[in-house]
Amino acid sequence: MNVSPEGALNKNMKVLVVDDFSTMRRIVKNLLRDLGFTNISEADDGSTALPMLQGGDFDFVVTDWNMPGMQGIDLLKAIRADASLSHIPVLLITAEAKKEQIVMAAQAGVNGYIVKPFTAATLKTKLDKIFERLG
Amino acid sequence: MSIAMAGRISLEQAKLLVGFLESGQQEEADAVINEIQNPINSELFAEIGKLTRQLHDSLTNFQVDSRLNDLATADIPDAKERLNFVITCTEEAANKTMDAVEAIFPVVDTISQQVEAVKPSWTKLMNNDLDLNEFKVLCVGIDTLLKNADKETTHIHTLMTDVLMAQDFQDITGQVIRKVIDLVREVEESLINMLTAFGISAEAMQEKAMPKVGDNLVEGPIVNAKERDDVVEDQDDVDDLLSSLGF
Repeated sequence: MNVSPEGALNKNMKVLVVDDFSTMRRIVKNLLRDLGFTNISEADDGSTALPMLQGGDFDFVVTDWNMPGMQGIDLLKAIRADASLSHIPVLLITAEAKKEQIVMAAQAGVNGYIVKPFTAATLKTKLDKIFERLG
Repeated sequence: MSIAMAGRISLEQAKLLVGFLESGQQEEADAVINEIQNPINSELFAEIGKLTRQLHDSLTNFQVDSRLNDLATADIPDAKERLNFVITCTEEAANKTMDAVEAIFPVVDTISQQVEAVKPSWTKLMNNDLDLNEFKVLCVGIDTLLKNADKETTHIHTLMTDVLMAQDFQDITGQVIRKVIDLVREVEESLINMLTAFGISAEAMQEKAMPKVGDNLVEGPIVNAKERDDVVEDQDDVDDLLSSLGF
């Protein structure tokens, strides 16, 4: 309950957490809840996430990269290519650590890139930065 | 026979042929003719015959090497089962740990709220600034806090023991993975032997060999980041790279 500056973040925003491992989704959900987010949904890969995003008014996506089915990078590209979704900020949390991939994600329009293993403090810093930029 | 084809028969062969014919040795004469006609073919046949024998021997040897057969039909399926077991074990441990932690969060939050509730009155009391009515309210607040803390610390202790016990997967999965590593090493040796049998040097291949990557270069967690220069080592590296791109 200590996102700073207080009030800069809309804690009721609808967040979608995408990861093929349920334990990682659970970790991210717990960390987000600890930061005050309460409206969190889950999907286990890009192809499950995309229709959810198209069907619901999500405000923020946290996604893994390497997933069976549709990868996180392809989900990001699909979000940016869809006029009704392209405004949604996307944070990648991934073990993928090639410089080329980070450049690829930046070019695809990612809003934040966290490399696993990560800490609660890193997540908080990146979230603050993303929403500070978006105003 | 033209001059251009003179190279196909030697004077010795011609003399030999004439000699055989003059003395009525027809079979020997035919053999000389055959030899003159098919010198290359006979060498080729001999070579093919040799290769066929080698191939046959190699194949027989592979079949005889029953260890290879066991590896493919028994050990590798067994290893897959073991690795799946590791996934199950670690997933269970992660969930058990998170069950306990998620149960602890609200308990700690409640205690924290009760502390916050009595804190202002408590500070006033310490400053000799609390009237009797406020003191009575404070007493009730502290009573609630103490009773709750007493009960919940026992509860938290039990949950923490659950977290502790959930870590026993490390011992079990460590042993299972070690067995799989031994198997991988054995398969590696067998494959190197096979390459050597076919005359391919494993060392020569090693230099340019890189682990396979999937679509979008996915490779999963990098375990030797320090030895590679195409990957980032930590979050600071990621942030530096992104800011160099104007992020």
